[in-house]
Amino acid sequence: MLAFSSASADGASSTGELVPFSSEARATAVFPLHHGLKPPISRLSISWARGNSLRVSFFRKPSGDDSDGDEFGGKVLEVRLSGGDGDMSDAQFRRIAYGSVSPFALLQSRRNSAVSLSKISSPYHVEWWEYVMEYSKDINSLLSDPKSLTSPAIEDPKAVLQKAEEPICLKAAWDVMEIFYADKQSQSWLPERLVDWLAAYNGLLSSTQATIHSQLISFQKELVTLQVIEDSPKYWEVLSAALAVGWLDVVVKMLRLHGSYQLDQIGNRETENGLVEAVAVLISKMPRLRPELQAGTLGECHRAKPDFIKAWEKWRAHITKLDCSAYWVRCDHDQTRKGLRNMLQIMLGNTNSLCTATCHWMELYIAHFLYIRPFTVGLESMYSLARKCMQLKPMTISHRLIQLLLGIIGDNTEVVLAECSRAFGPWMVAHAIELLASGSDQAETLLREEHYNLGGISIEELHRLVYAQVLSSDALTWQIAPIYLTSCIKQGMGLLEILLSKQPVQDVQILLKIAGVYHWKHGRKGSGVFWLQQARDEVRLNRIAQQLFDFVGQSISDESFKQWEGLIELLGSESKTAGGLEFLHKYRDFKKSLKQVNDGKTTDAAQQAVESLISLMKNPSTPQQFWLPILYDSLKLLSCQERPLLNVSETNLLLNKLQELSMAKLRPDFIEADLPPQALGSVRLALATNLGRAIVEE
Amino acid sequence: MAKSLVTLEKGTVCSAWNYCGQRLATGSGDGTLAVFDSQDPASSSSFTRTSKSRLHEDGIVKVVWVPSEYGDAVACICTEGNVSLWEEVKEDAQPLQWKLCKSFKSNSAKVLDIQFGISLRSLKMVAAYSDGHVKVYELLDCLELKNWQLQAEFQNVIESVFTFSKALCLSASISWNPQGGESQESSFVLGFNSDTPLLNSSKVWEFDPAHQRWLPVAELALPGDKGDQVYTVAWAPNIGRPYEVIAVATHKGISIWHLGLDPDLDGRLSVEKVALLSSHKGEVWQMEWDMSGMTLATTGSDGVVRLWQSNLNGAWMEKAAFEPTS
Repeated sequence: MLAFSSASADGASSTGELVPFSSEARATAVFPLHHGLKPPISRLSISWARGNSLRVSFFRKPSGDDSDGDEFGGKVLEVRLSGGDGDMSDAQFRRIAYGSVSPFALLQSRRNSAVSLSKISSPYHVEWWEYVMEYSKDINSLLSDPKSLTSPAIEDPKAVLQKAEEPICLKAAWDVMEIFYADKQSQSWLPERLVDWLAAYNGLLSSTQATIHSQLISFQKELVTLQVIEDSPKYWEVLSAALAVGWLDVVVKMLRLHGSYQLDQIGNRETENGLVEAVAVLISKMPRLRPELQAGTLGECHRAKPDFIKAWEKWRAHITKLDCSAYWVRCDHDQTRKGLRNMLQIMLGNTNSLCTATCHWMELYIAHFLYIRPFTVGLESMYSLARKCMQLKPMTISHRLIQLLLGIIGDNTEVVLAECSRAFGPWMVAHAIELLASGSDQAETLLREEHYNLGGISIEELHRLVYAQVLSSDALTWQIAPIYLTSCIKQGMGLLEILLSKQPVQDVQILLKIAGVYHWKHGRKGSGVFWLQQARDEVRLNRIAQQLFDFVGQSISDESFKQWEGLIELLGSESKTAGGLEFLHKYRDFKKSLKQVNDGKTTDAAQQAVESLISLMKNPSTPQQFWLPILYDSLKLLSCQERPLLNVSETNLLLNKLQELSMAKLRPDFIEADLPPQALGSVRLALATNLGRAIVEE
Repeated sequence: MAKSLVTLEKGTVCSAWNYCGQRLATGSGDGTLAVFDSQDPASSSSFTRTSKSRLHEDGIVKVVWVPSEYGDAVACICTEGNVSLWEEVKEDAQPLQWKLCKSFKSNSAKVLDIQFGISLRSLKMVAAYSDGHVKVYELLDCLELKNWQLQAEFQNVIESVFTFSKALCLSASISWNPQGGESQESSFVLGFNSDTPLLNSSKVWEFDPAHQRWLPVAELALPGDKGDQVYTVAWAPNIGRPYEVIAVATHKGISIWHLGLDPDLDGRLSVEKVALLSSHKGEVWQMEWDMSGMTLATTGSDGVVRLWQSNLNGAWMEKAAFEPTS
């Protein structure tokens, strides 16, 4: 149930990490508990506090004499057990937690409506992928660090790497899962997506090993002191490295720093410069199998495979031609010649050159996609290629992102889940499961089947419960927990009840509100209103009252009418809503009497209905927008065959109202009622007829 | 990772948190009850002592909070083995203070453990005694903690024909089903550490309204282990499982039991032992389940706090251990 982070006193050791609910046996993680008391400790006592906090009481045995001095008799410590991403601050976590609620809730409600609408077993249709992608993008946008650095106004010509926002690991992980599971549209150019991914997040991998990113950073520092750039072997190393992973714009920019471009040099080093420029041009025209590139990045995009293959072969032919050119002999500068030719080898997909140029297997993997096998598709072949690269360039310590990626390419949902949990924490698992489930049918089955050992719930539900418990650990986030719990069909309510019962009495109003909203949303509208009234939640009660107004002028079923009626009763007329609910009460009475007329029960009914009608229309609390609907409802009354039911003054009143209405229509803020076009005409006609007959009667 | 919340005075021997973790009651060897309150409910980081009262001459060995809907009250078990109930009340112009509501005196036997449970809307207190007897008291007036009635007295045996008058019990442990309450009868599990084997094993007791008595509906011990002394028991909260989970600690280790929900023709519930956890060296003192009933925290005489969870395959494993250091 808990994911522990390795944030123990011994720092960032990876040995203290646990994988909850895995089948692997791992050694127990041991954590120290510093109580600061002088031994001996005679007794311990434990108690769980909110969510995942454990409180431990330590009792010292009093020594009887005064040798203890100022020693305390004991201490109580609180240990927070919600682990996960130890890199994140509490504030950051809270921001992400709050922001994730809406996308999550939206996706759940969409699923619920999809399930209820569908008559076939599978509720998913094409739109569903769009919903998941929208969800993924919403969450992704949360994970961008708000403190991102903006690019400087004046571009430093020597700045090889643009300063970009410092990404967080969570975003990198989410991105890679989005690429593989949610983004159905870019499945055909998956390798290029990985090229982009590595470009964005290679810096993160620098924490555990050397990367091209770290090489570039250190070279950039040296750049200021270098007199003759092209003499530095590091320059050529970094060029090859950046080329190998497809950072073409960096490569070209760096190439243009070559001394042969300088105005005072260019006269003597024409050939050399020509060769450098030729390579730069070739690089900038590299064909890429992808629909588009970001502005400023180099290469030529091809969507369709046949186009790409043609361009690719042409491009390779150019490179070979350059490689065989006679000009190399006339290039005086050794390092330039060697460096450039090595770069050509990389572009031609020479495995040795690629191996030398890259730092770890992931970079070599990307290089394979760019220069050796640009049309790799299918997870199986991707996985075997990954294994091959790992053998050629093994990583000593594997970064958690790499572990995750391997799990994804290996098509192993359990590994992916375990890695998410271990390395990224309960938030990640609870939210990423949606992505995983949309990845494949097998994944969906695995995540949604029920396990007896878990008490009959699915893995999906389990991780939501875990996350809700994490949220409950903090006074500032516990209110979000109910939203996740309401999506846990089997055990959510049980945990919610317990969560609510452990809240201190001062929070009672919130509890009542939560109860009210919960009941309302689960179809128990009466209970919902009752709890909201206990909570004195005016805002929501007003909102509900407004909803009830929607019924006016509609023809609704008996069932709905009963419910509507009941709610009006509950809300009472004291509610300080727009116009007061007095109108709704009168309207309810009117509708009831109309119904009696329609049922043809008593002759009195008609008279009662008329009285109701007049009372309604006279009442100032009746909103104008409902006048016509009410009158249209009463058409039958107004066109009574036997005798006119309204007397002269009453009919005149109604006619005046109609007149007022016509005037009001001219105003810009008038709300047109949803009635058939001849409604007004029919009412006017009926009233006029009635008037005529009433005058005759009098 | 660990934050210090409260520092306790010399001589403090026991502590208990209230239902929402905002109040801490501690008992000392000199009979003092001290209560600490959180100043800031949102962060619950700073606790200060709000009261300190010397209740009696006798040292307090255990403090148990009364369920919150019955008031701000604690029950104290003292070294001589009596139980007293104290409530924090505000009377007339006097400040808030702790007053004695009820004293449960027993002549011969000492009270070893008490636990409160709510069953069919009434508050019940189960007390286990050193002579092997179990008493269930019922609160008669839900707004007053003074009036209690002895509802039942029995021994922790399956067959009621056995009665033991000379049993010597060192400790006992009671745990109510956390779920119980308003609309149904609640059950509790109880085990003894005594010299009389038949009394020891943990039994689940349920009230039979038809015959107005408590009946043992399950025994949580394998045939070979029935005489083993039980150190402590803990009933896990059930948020929707089709079975109950109860932990029982003996010298052989901690057993995790599954208890079925549907009684058979004899009224007994099915039991299944699903795990034996044996990392603790020495006696297990306390076991506590977290709010979802999925993680068990245990501590014992080896001074280590351990956390246990079950994996997807139903195998229980130790997930973490906390070793105190100064």
